[in-house]
Amino acid sequence: MSAKLKKSLLYWLMLSPLVVVILFPFGVMFVTAFRPREELFVFPPRWWFSEFRWSNFVEMWEKTNFGQALFNSLYVSIAATALGLLLSIPAAYALSRYRFPGKSAYRTFLLMTQMMSPIVLVLGLFRLMVVLGMVNNLNSLVLTYAAFNMAFTIWMLQSYFSTIPRDLEEAAWIDGATHFKSLIKIFLPLAVPAIAVTSIFSFINGWNEFVLALTMIRSSDDYTLPVQIYSQVAGRYQVEWHHVMAATILATVPVAIVFSWLQKYLIRGMALGAVK
Amino acid sequence: MKSLDGMKPLLMILPGLALAMFIIGYPIYDLGFTSLQEVSRFGKLLGFVGFDNFREVFSDPLFWASLNRTVIWTVTVVLSTLIISLPIALILNDDFYGRGLARVIIMLPWAVSLTMTAVVWRWALNGRAGLLNATLMNMGLIDEPIEWLAEAQLAFTVEILVGILVSIPFTTTIFLGGLSSLPRDSYEASMVDGATRWDQFRHITLPLMKPFINIAIVLNVIYVFNSLPIIWVMTEGGPANGTDILVTYLYKLAFRFGQLGEAAAISLIMFGFLLLFTIIYVALVMRGERQTDTIEEDE
Amino acid sequence: MAAVTIQNVEKTFGTLKVIHGVNIEVKEHEFVVLVGPSGCGKSTLLRMIAGLETISDGEIVIGEKVVNNVHPRDRDIAMVFQNYALYPHMSIFDNMGFSLKLRKRSKAEIEKKVNEAAGILNLVPFLQREPRQLSGGQRQRVAMGRALVRDAQVFLFDEPLSNLDAKLRVTMRTEIKALHQRLKTTSIYVTHDQIEAMTMADRIVVMNAGRVEQIGAPLELYDHPGNLFVAGFLGSPSMNFIEGHFSRSDGEAVVVTEAGTRLPAPDLADAKEGQAVVFGVRPEHLILGANGVEATVEVVEPTGANIEVFADIGGADICAVFFERHLFEPGEKIGLGWDTGKVHLFDKESGQRI
Repeated sequence: MSAKLKKSLLYWLMLSPLVVVILFPFGVMFVTAFRPREELFVFPPRWWFSEFRWSNFVEMWEKTNFGQALFNSLYVSIAATALGLLLSIPAAYALSRYRFPGKSAYRTFLLMTQMMSPIVLVLGLFRLMVVLGMVNNLNSLVLTYAAFNMAFTIWMLQSYFSTIPRDLEEAAWIDGATHFKSLIKIFLPLAVPAIAVTSIFSFINGWNEFVLALTMIRSSDDYTLPVQIYSQVAGRYQVEWHHVMAATILATVPVAIVFSWLQKYLIRGMALGAVK
Repeated sequence: MKSLDGMKPLLMILPGLALAMFIIGYPIYDLGFTSLQEVSRFGKLLGFVGFDNFREVFSDPLFWASLNRTVIWTVTVVLSTLIISLPIALILNDDFYGRGLARVIIMLPWAVSLTMTAVVWRWALNGRAGLLNATLMNMGLIDEPIEWLAEAQLAFTVEILVGILVSIPFTTTIFLGGLSSLPRDSYEASMVDGATRWDQFRHITLPLMKPFINIAIVLNVIYVFNSLPIIWVMTEGGPANGTDILVTYLYKLAFRFGQLGEAAAISLIMFGFLLLFTIIYVALVMRGERQTDTIEEDE
Repeated sequence: MAAVTIQNVEKTFGTLKVIHGVNIEVKEHEFVVLVGPSGCGKSTLLRMIAGLETISDGEIVIGEKVVNNVHPRDRDIAMVFQNYALYPHMSIFDNMGFSLKLRKRSKAEIEKKVNEAAGILNLVPFLQREPRQLSGGQRQRVAMGRALVRDAQVFLFDEPLSNLDAKLRVTMRTEIKALHQRLKTTSIYVTHDQIEAMTMADRIVVMNAGRVEQIGAPLELYDHPGNLFVAGFLGSPSMNFIEGHFSRSDGEAVVVTEAGTRLPAPDLADAKEGQAVVFGVRPEHLILGANGVEATVEVVEPTGANIEVFADIGGADICAVFFERHLFEPGEKIGLGWDTGKVHLFDKESGQRI
């Protein structure tokens, strides 16, 4: 047996307990979502089930108002991302291109707000939305998500923007471009991948957010997905677990795939490059 | 033209700054103000009461119990995560068959939101039909199903384990970043000097990884301390407030019991703690930046 | 084509002054090289001429126009950047034609100009490629081509050869020089490499710590450096400096070193008896001879074309270059002489030429 093979077996053996624990909930999710309702509560409990009930998904969609929640989640995540990027792109550009008074104070402010979690401020945020008359309004989430996400997006964008050589824009000016034209023709085309990746993370953050959505949104028509799914679990005597798991799969799997794919870029937005 | 050039970057950061200041700044101000007021159930301010709310908080046994549990929750989750993540990062940094797959699997919990993870675990741990019981019974480890979430002590332990599980990917990622930045020639030099693998780990890897371990500790403390979804979704702090940590207790006070003054006071206390750790974080990042800056200036 | 005048130009970053009142006149058609060690302010000065840095004080005039507040695009200059600054998302053709497109020239004209420039620079086969598909030398040519299509008043070069390997650098050096002889466009060229400066320039501006040390034709600076800095900066291996005191005895001028060694020196009218001076002589001006000053050989380095001998002369280090193959042994005593007309004397305190 080659040394590498031996090493690989040893490593997989060491990782196996963790791998099992990580995959366990995914297994639970799938076998529950597809099993017939009458096989949910059998004794003794078992993994095995008699047939793939695809109709669980259709039933769930109709009975739990899933479509509405999906739409709400999409609206909030997309609007918050758009607003956040609209404000973040110029700020990130300024950070990566100019010296200005207060720059280091501003960077400190960004680092601090990046760590500021909404939960500690949730009461104050709720009272703010009461003052603004925005309780039970999805736009309250758009505003707060954009605000809390901005430090992250600005940081991530500026770390990318800094890798686009400044002399490309300078060369464009000397070639006769206005400031605006050099932005449109030279800078933005090169920044598109960075902006795309940043938008996706911003979108996922909004998609996954729970606490603020739970607090600000009172009527079930305005629930976002996490709250909608939670509401089918919490405080109910009879939980339709096969529906819950089907909804969880739909809400989770696509996002998880995209996230796994782009995860390596995430670190840039966390100011960890500096420590490196 | 010169003065305008100076203004341009400020104009570019201003709109975002204004939104952040407003959305984050106003609640802080409001919490500060509210914490010194008597507040009705419906949020009406009834007048200045000084530090009464804080006094009430400090004489509330549930606050102390939650604080106590917060410390246990944070310390256990963070420490265990670090201890588990470092060897995992070392393994994933090495070359072996199936490393790509192993990386994807280890990172999976990060890709799913905490809320969904907690929902799935709540079902998996179901006392009657949960599949954890099914698995353990199949393996012959238990005879009767266990009610995992019905009793506070056990429920809290399970929640801590889930907390560790979801913190591992992020921590491992930080460590992997650190490991990949270690200079290869130091290892080659030490091999020539006759170091064993253990010597290398102790005298090269660990010291060089220290900044990453520091940042992992600080970030994890901030995240874990603030984490509501796991406990909220799995037990809502129950049974009988037996799994409450500060965030869940705060949430209940504010949005269930209508104790707004007390909730504002706890928010501020937590905010202070968060601020402290954030400052440590910023200091760590700035120190790292200064070091890279000096290297870059050398050209 | 236009002349460029730099008058009392200063640059401050915050409280840090990096350019202290610089005056340079670049004549029409002239090729001027700004040379100096890194951090001397030469690139900043060039960027101020380009309009990429603001001018803190003084004036820069291109042609007849004061350009202090003119945007780079309106200065009618072309610039070759150190890292070439090719637009990575455009083809070579589009890179070269970008400036003409911005000026709304016709498609036919752009095509003609780009092809013309590509022809001169041997880039025709690469026009449809992207920058990352080209080698370093080819990218360098594209950067030049971008400047060529413009018919700009002034060409600015910011260390354009520093990213090329040694061999390519020599080739490109010659190409740029040939190009200038053909086009006669006023050019300002920044480099830290004194060989580039010597070989390419009509006139050299030697800069140090934000000031101009000396301006003049290459050989003029080489033969008559105005101060210690210029004397030491130009020439490789660099000029030997030996400290001592000036003295006239028996009608002969000498510099007496600390150790008492007497070095024959020119009898300059401005040199005072006993003045603390620095004696300077270039390695290639040292002559081997029995009646010279005695020196002890320490290291001998044959380069092939010549031999560099490092020796100790009365406690001071001296380097000599010989074109004959003298293979001395370390420790060997040799006599070193020189034509006193080729010796430079500098006042020790001010560093200025006497």
